[in-house]
Amino acid sequence: MNLRRLLGKERYKTLLKGVWTEHPISSMCLGICSALAVSNKVENAIAMGAGVTFVLIATAVMVSSLRKMIPARGRMITYMVTIASFVIVVDKFLKAYFPVISETMGPYVGLIITNCILMGRAEAFYARNPLGLSLVDAVANGIAYSYTLTGIAVVREVLGFGTLLGMRVMPAGWENWVVLSLAPGAFFLLGLFLWITRTLAGVEPPREG
Amino acid sequence: MKDSVKMIAFLLILSSILAAALTAVEAVTKPRITRNEELKIKRNVLAALGVACDEAARESTFDATVRVVEKGGRKFYVTADKTVAFSIQGAGLWGPIQGILAVAPDGAAVKGITIVHQEETPGLGSRIAEAAYLAGFQGKRLLPRIVITAEGAAATDTEVDGITGATLSCQAFGRILNSEAAACLPMVKEVQQ
Repeated sequence: MNLRRLLGKERYKTLLKGVWTEHPISSMCLGICSALAVSNKVENAIAMGAGVTFVLIATAVMVSSLRKMIPARGRMITYMVTIASFVIVVDKFLKAYFPVISETMGPYVGLIITNCILMGRAEAFYARNPLGLSLVDAVANGIAYSYTLTGIAVVREVLGFGTLLGMRVMPAGWENWVVLSLAPGAFFLLGLFLWITRTLAGVEPPREG
Repeated sequence: MKDSVKMIAFLLILSSILAAALTAVEAVTKPRITRNEELKIKRNVLAALGVACDEAARESTFDATVRVVEKGGRKFYVTADKTVAFSIQGAGLWGPIQGILAVAPDGAAVKGITIVHQEETPGLGSRIAEAAYLAGFQGKRLLPRIVITAEGAAATDTEVDGITGATLSCQAFGRILNSEAAACLPMVKEVQQ
């Protein structure tokens, strides 16, 4: 496959792991909170996905290029400071150029700081791998997070609000499935998503004892 | 000991660089953010006053129809026919609610209300911000006070329907309206002069 030749074996493997076999949400169960909270409208899901992807890439660049200098006991605080700074950049950018999206997303942009995907990947991957590989991993995880949120949001927005990206898609007599636009709907759908993707990707459930 | 000195030095340098970068971002985006907030207030004022205008002409419409008067530390937006809008705020059920209330020329009836900011439960309390609900306030009298009733039970011209499932948010919004009206209606009379 072309992509495989283009990236080289190791990078291709990292990409595949990030978007599918070690999917951050379904396989590692990271970033669940925001996947539940920001997946009710497609527009917000896309903005959130883009925001998280940007912060992931920026964090990967920072942490990976500084990885030999970061003091062992100051790792967490280094990640935290880095992630927090880039999240503020995203927040300001949305406020300045996409005020409507910024408003509907409210506190969730700031909460990207606590998105476990960022801390998790920084500690598990970027602090140990060279820049190129870390970038691939950041992009892969960003894509995985974005398509999951967008996928769930498509179902929730169409059935819960009768719209897609704000445009009416359901017939006039459509009764909105309000439960899908509320928090419980997110749990149902995320559960389904985990079940389906874990089965397809062959993720083994943790064994008892 | 040497380790901790190294760690502190590293973190200090890293934070300084990031802080500098953030200051730059802040400086670049600040004018746009301030402008967006002003536009938002103008849009809400015009909507509350019931002035129709399209997105592009909003600023010129605002400048042409609204006179801004400062009184008692508040801004009042007065139109030629003496309809007066002012911003209201107070505690909702979960967080602050901010809005714009427009009062008809008689100084007591509601001309229109918009909500600029609210943090009520999405899908339940947040429905108070929907235009369809706020339209129910139009023509209601702020004096002696607005009473929020059960959904569909409003009968007199000081009673407004609540929303089933959003009772507490509606009650909180009613309280905000009453206290802000009590504080501002005397000043409305003065700015109408």
